[in-house]
Amino acid sequence: MKKRIILLLIISSAFGQTGIEIAKMVDAKPSPKDMSNTTRMVLTNAKGKSRTNVMVSKSLDGNKKQIIWFLEPKDDKGVAFLKIEHSDKDDEMRMWLPAFKKIRRISSKKKGDSFMGSDLSYEDLSNRDLDENEYIRLDDETINGVDCFVLEITPKKEAKSSYIKHTSWIDKNSLMAVKEKSYDKSGALKKKKEFSHREMKGYFVMKRVFVEDVQKNRTTEVAFEDVQVDMGIQASLFQEKNLKRLPRN
Amino acid sequence: MSEKRIKDWFMSQSLDHPKRTIIITLLISILMGSGLQFFKIEDDMMKMIPEDIDTRRVWEEVKEEFGNTEMIFVAFGERGTSAYNREAMAELWDFTEVVEASPLIEEVISLSNMNRMESVDDFLEVDDLVPSRDLNSNEIVSIKNYLDGNPDIKKRVLGKHGDFFNVVVKPQEGSNDQAVVKLLHEYADTHLQEYEVHFGGPPYLTGLVGDLIRVDMVVLIRIGLLGMVLILLWSLRSFIGVGMIVAVIVLSLGSMMGAMGWIYNLTKSDNFVFTIMNTSMPIILLTIANSDGVHFLTKFFKKLRQTKDKRKAIEMSMHSLMLPIFLTSITTSAAFLSLLFAPIEVMAGYGYTIAIGIMWAWILSTTLLPSLIMLTNWKMDSKAISHPGLLERMVDNIGKEILKAPRLVLTAGLIVVLIGAYGLSALNVEVNIKTFFDEEHAIPQSLSFLDDEMVGSMDYTFRIEGDLKDPKTLKKMVRLQEYMEEHPKISISISIADIIKQMHRTIMDDDPVFETIPDERDKVNNLFTMYSMSGDPDDFSSLVNYDYTVGLVTVMSKNMSTQAAEIYVGEVKKFIEQEINGEMEITTTGMLPVLGDMVDMVISSSFRSIFASIIVVSLIAGFFFRRIGWGLLAVIPLSSAVILNFGFMGLFNIDLNHVTAVLSSVIIGVGVDFAIHYISQYRRSVKTVKDPDILSREVIDEVGYPIVLDALSNMAFAALLFSQFLPVRHMGGLMVFAMISTSVGTLTLLASVMELLRRNKKIYNRLIRGN
Repeated sequence: MKKRIILLLIISSAFGQTGIEIAKMVDAKPSPKDMSNTTRMVLTNAKGKSRTNVMVSKSLDGNKKQIIWFLEPKDDKGVAFLKIEHSDKDDEMRMWLPAFKKIRRISSKKKGDSFMGSDLSYEDLSNRDLDENEYIRLDDETINGVDCFVLEITPKKEAKSSYIKHTSWIDKNSLMAVKEKSYDKSGALKKKKEFSHREMKGYFVMKRVFVEDVQKNRTTEVAFEDVQVDMGIQASLFQEKNLKRLPRN
Repeated sequence: MSEKRIKDWFMSQSLDHPKRTIIITLLISILMGSGLQFFKIEDDMMKMIPEDIDTRRVWEEVKEEFGNTEMIFVAFGERGTSAYNREAMAELWDFTEVVEASPLIEEVISLSNMNRMESVDDFLEVDDLVPSRDLNSNEIVSIKNYLDGNPDIKKRVLGKHGDFFNVVVKPQEGSNDQAVVKLLHEYADTHLQEYEVHFGGPPYLTGLVGDLIRVDMVVLIRIGLLGMVLILLWSLRSFIGVGMIVAVIVLSLGSMMGAMGWIYNLTKSDNFVFTIMNTSMPIILLTIANSDGVHFLTKFFKKLRQTKDKRKAIEMSMHSLMLPIFLTSITTSAAFLSLLFAPIEVMAGYGYTIAIGIMWAWILSTTLLPSLIMLTNWKMDSKAISHPGLLERMVDNIGKEILKAPRLVLTAGLIVVLIGAYGLSALNVEVNIKTFFDEEHAIPQSLSFLDDEMVGSMDYTFRIEGDLKDPKTLKKMVRLQEYMEEHPKISISISIADIIKQMHRTIMDDDPVFETIPDERDKVNNLFTMYSMSGDPDDFSSLVNYDYTVGLVTVMSKNMSTQAAEIYVGEVKKFIEQEINGEMEITTTGMLPVLGDMVDMVISSSFRSIFASIIVVSLIAGFFFRRIGWGLLAVIPLSSAVILNFGFMGLFNIDLNHVTAVLSSVIIGVGVDFAIHYISQYRRSVKTVKDPDILSREVIDEVGYPIVLDALSNMAFAALLFSQFLPVRHMGGLMVFAMISTSVGTLTLLASVMELLRRNKKIYNRLIRGN
């Protein structure tokens, strides 16, 4: 209830706000301490061929710490991935490769690189730093009956973004993005994203993401199932040794 | 409708309604010519391969699965100066970015945008090899060290001596190669003006050659027309007469090219695209259209000289020439249509188009030309009409000499043909475009540079169908690559197996011992998954399909002759059958197997069109002369000319290729005209000449001069000698030779054979007199 009141207070102060003020509100909205889900990711290429990945994900501190165990496809079963974001240095990313019985650190320098061969890049999955972007509020719009703020977000040079700008539609009620268009360095539309979310324990959490790379004519649909929040996941889970086997709960 | 009624109808159009006839023929010509707006010039050897041939089918499949795999190579640098310097790296960065930003380009691969995959302190890193445009010296050293440690990658992006960068450009599927070439030239002029720049690769050649063909065609038509006008002026001595013939030629030419444009627009068939091979087409039509006009005008002058009556002279000329001109047009068209039997499909387009041009030239010669003559006031005292020319007198005298010793003339002719036949065994097929230019030309120069300094510009692509995560399959791919790389001309091979080997080594602490395919499938899977977490999956898109069921091995080769390519492709096929096929299915495409395929196709195209055209021409002539014997006689001089022509090509090391393969049709199509005119006149004279002993003499009197004049004005073929394409130049020389051999063959071999036959009473009565 407390979280709901905070959200309402934030939203009620939003009318007449500037772009950066809305961005700050989005950033400040309550989010779960931890989250667990089964992620089903369907990648479809330009010829309509699809590949499905299923994985179990657990995260802490708004995804700053995340551990993923791959379940499907069969070829990937047993592979696991650990990510720990740092604000003052490069993120840490480690992979457990069961066939080699080795853990390998992998690079996170290229923000524009695709995450698991999908149309989502690491940049798409990361939280935007308010100081590294400029926010301009455009005219409000209604998308599928949802009243939205519309922001034009321009990454600054220090953001080292692979995009020149984004246009983002934010649900005034939940302060969650419902739609976003991202433009590449040449100014051409690169990706169209659609988001849907659900309310859970007073939080709004992501239910589904659909991304279309309009230049490559590919899509990625990510559905989050069995979502649980504030389960009391311990920071000690996010260690290399836990990559080697999937926890029972 | 009887022959007489058709003749009367045609005569009536020109004699009674000349203005109407001129307007109608002009309007139809304009309508046909308007197709020029759809005229397409391009020279893509792959499109010459029929779609049911494996090489072409696999090429289409590969394009469908992997997008465009054809590459343009741009090499630039400063000889003797290391490319590892700030300025050159910055220029490479700019050039890569600007080319990549073009909508015509699908992908650019250069040192600037390559990934570095390495293991540093237990850390697998996939990152940009070149971090930014402006590099410091440490960064440059780091790049150099990485490339020195990965020689296979280095080979792809740097020249052998480290002073030239190699930029690989993949045009967008369906983009116009000429536009891509123009774009690259513009960017190179802007960004790389201080460097030596070389270009290569099939799309580049296709794009560049398209422009060269356009320039060549315009130059050749101008030279051909000019030469023809000069010859005609010298021999006809009538400006207005020559002007009329030129009008027929220009209208036929415009109509034929326009028709080609229309057909291309309506069918979208690549057979109706103007290629290097078609460069000879305008000149050939020019000479054929000229022949019709020359025969008509010389006959008209002769009859006008005799009758002093314009209308009567036109009537007599049309009466005696309508059938032979129609027949020569039909047989020439048939000879060109024999190209439909050629497996090289663009040759069929050549045949169709030129047949349309020939038939239109015939219609113009029998409608427009007599109408123009009818509307002209001819001065009876002009030299053209009142006196036979020098050439006419010369031919009369030579004719007399030939008929004095027909046996000797025949024997001498046969000896020459036998010498030609001996040369046939030395005939060589060469379709490599590098040999189509003089050595000093920029194209072979650049190709040689790419061979000497870079990875070459000929590709050999293997499409491999199987389980590409199965170590057995991957190891066989490696075996195939190792085998290919044993050949001294092969510079590099690339496949997904290389990436797996590199990843395996990287994950095993960069130990070179592990630069191998792992033995377990799970390990291969883990490597792919790991890469997908840190690299772009599109990095593999040109190597393996989405399902890992089809992969490509791309092999780059230095330039090979067609013969060497054919042998090598045969060896590779044998190796695959014996050692590789099994768990996977391998099919091939690319420039090297195309060269191999082209050998068989060029040879069979030449021979099929020779036999088809000889048979069809003799049947047509036999049908119209109502005796198959006449049909067989008509092909005597040109069969000899074909043997002589191809034999001399062998003796003088002139290569047979898809450009010169149409020669047989030209020789037969154009050469048969002389024989038909000779036989037509012979059949006419047989009815009017009482003394059989002077029959041949009378025939030579009537047609000797027009035949020689026709052959002489056909020397416009020599215009092809000014082409920048060597095979077209060879064609020019050979066609000049063919015109001499067919016209001389008609007036010697055919004349002496007929004279000898005449002396045999039985044959004379049955064949010649038709009793």
